[in-house]
Amino acid sequence: MDLGQGEPLVHVQDFQMSFGSTKVIENLSFDVYQGETFGFLGSNGSGKTTTIRSLLGIYQATSGTLHIGGAPFSPDRNINLGYLPEERGLYKKEVTLDVMVYFGRLKGLSKVNAVNWSMNFLERVGIASRAKVRLDKLSSGEQQKVQLGITIMNDPLLLILDEPTKGFDPVNRRLLMEIIDEQRIAGTTVLMVTHQMEEVERLCDRVLLLKDGKARAYGTVSQVQDEFGSTSIDIELLGEIPLSDSYRVLRSNPDITQIVASVGNTPESILKELVLLGVQVKSFAEKKTSLDEIFIHIYGDEPIKEMT
Amino acid sequence: MVSFEVSRTLKKKKFWLGTLTVPFAIALILGLNVISNTTTANKVDTQKNAKFSFNYVDSSGLINSSIARALGGSEITDSAVGVANVKSANSEAFFNYPKDPTVEIISVYGIDKGIFDNGKYSAVATQLLQLSVQNRIGNRELASLIAGKVKVKSTSFLRGKESGSIGDAIPPMIFLLIFYLVLLLLGNQMLTSTQEEKENRVTEIILTTLNPNTLILGKIVSLFVIGVVQITVFASPVILGYSFFRKDLRLPNIDLSTLNFHAVPMIIGFLLLVGGFTLFTGTLVAVGAIMPTAKEAGNVFGVVMALLFAPFWIITLVASDPNSLIVQVFTYFPYSATVTSMMRNGLGSLGAGRAAIVIAELFIFGFIVLKLAMRLFRYGSIEYSKRVSPLQVFRKAKS
Repeated sequence: MDLGQGEPLVHVQDFQMSFGSTKVIENLSFDVYQGETFGFLGSNGSGKTTTIRSLLGIYQATSGTLHIGGAPFSPDRNINLGYLPEERGLYKKEVTLDVMVYFGRLKGLSKVNAVNWSMNFLERVGIASRAKVRLDKLSSGEQQKVQLGITIMNDPLLLILDEPTKGFDPVNRRLLMEIIDEQRIAGTTVLMVTHQMEEVERLCDRVLLLKDGKARAYGTVSQVQDEFGSTSIDIELLGEIPLSDSYRVLRSNPDITQIVASVGNTPESILKELVLLGVQVKSFAEKKTSLDEIFIHIYGDEPIKEMT
Repeated sequence: MVSFEVSRTLKKKKFWLGTLTVPFAIALILGLNVISNTTTANKVDTQKNAKFSFNYVDSSGLINSSIARALGGSEITDSAVGVANVKSANSEAFFNYPKDPTVEIISVYGIDKGIFDNGKYSAVATQLLQLSVQNRIGNRELASLIAGKVKVKSTSFLRGKESGSIGDAIPPMIFLLIFYLVLLLLGNQMLTSTQEEKENRVTEIILTTLNPNTLILGKIVSLFVIGVVQITVFASPVILGYSFFRKDLRLPNIDLSTLNFHAVPMIIGFLLLVGGFTLFTGTLVAVGAIMPTAKEAGNVFGVVMALLFAPFWIITLVASDPNSLIVQVFTYFPYSATVTSMMRNGLGSLGAGRAAIVIAELFIFGFIVLKLAMRLFRYGSIEYSKRVSPLQVFRKAKS
């Protein structure tokens, strides 16, 4: 994947959004390139869903450019899009297959193709026998599977998933992750809004962290880790770690003590100091700050370096 | 989209249960009516021709004794004796004709034969008086004319052309009937048409796959198709009843040749129907888009229906004094304009100029309200569980 090269599939430039006198988004800019999986992160109320809705033309932006495929999104442009909104549901009183075929038709499939696609999907997720059953007679897990099927129908060019695992049971969460994986391998561009940092680290090529409507971090996962986090050190030792100005203790339990080096100190100098102090070190490992920790740093209002 | 909306409605048992209940009820009522009318007519014929012995007192001097005898009657002079004879079962019945039967009551006494057969006494008493009077006039035709059995055809002229007949008024009024039927049958569905997307949280997915204008127009078209199905189902027992049981149902014979279909009032009626339909549909969809649940949206339905029926409060004024201020207000106020103008169009008091203004007004308001409804759906229906004000929606749309 050649990230940052060529025309982006999603292009957001100087996006601003206000509801009345309340500024919700300020000068937000980011790009999502074809084939990449992009994590759009932020706490509740930070403006993620507003950005997604504006990108999809559901809201009208106050100012700025929000493009998908080189132009503002409109259903009339027939962009093959799969969207799983945060607030989601289906026509519950209709028959499962009818609903899937209806959305398939809206997404441009012929009736025969929509039926075939739907049946194949239902078979894959093990609920083909429920095709003729009304959706409200399905378990919530089964309904989630149908929702997923509708989202990825007709092999979308761009998948926008807003809190995709929200409300999903563990089985369906795994299924969702498998599907996202498959889609990205098949070359689908994925824009994912999530709180699940493990998933972001596992799946996303690049991320944007939004706080109070402003971008607080933007880049590849390792770039963000390098720029925002500091390297922590996990130490296994006998006894307690002595106090020192060279490091700060993050966490300490009988098995592992986690420290972070103070300014001007390196892991090597700290190890040397500990040995000189007579500490019996069993293991000593450098570890990058996880996205989860960076997220807590940013949203916990702790001072953090802005990315250049 | 239209086929999905139509087929899913037509597949619902609830829809057919509701739709078929009406024709079944109509068929049941008509059936009972046929049975009742046939039985009653047979009974009345039997009863008025029933022969039994009775006494009568004739203070009016109208009763013909020969006819009375032929029917089994014998005259007496004392009414107390007549009543006593009935009580003692010496006579089956007694009729007491007062001095002036046109204002006074004819008293009839008889031996109880059960609630239905007791009717024969008053039937024979009336028959005896009618036959006696007819006999006194001496001419069957004259007697029929006095009874008011005459046919009148009146013709009036406006600017030298025949006009103003009921045959002129009925055809344009058909549009008023269609307007009411469509809105009464489909009004609630229009109100809740976008509720399903909202309540099921489908709006966002729909908005990214389908233009909201297409969605709203598709829903209106599908509602119209469903309405046509419902009207056909509802009308079928009436048409069948009229075609095959008209006499039994005692329905008047509708002579379609007396109806005059003039082009101008028919075109005006059609345009008023389309304009009014657009305005009311737009309004119902707009209300549905900002209400969080179908139940809450339903509360507004009553208000819209009141607006629809409001012109009937002044119907006599519309007919007698169409230029009065209140009729003018009802003619031009958008939500009463359709019905008032349709009535005036049928009665011939609308005029081409006024019709043009009302039609233009309805189309302009209808278009604005429909656009507003689309906007409210787009920005209001994603506020899934909240009731939003139009102002909030516009703030979102303009921001």
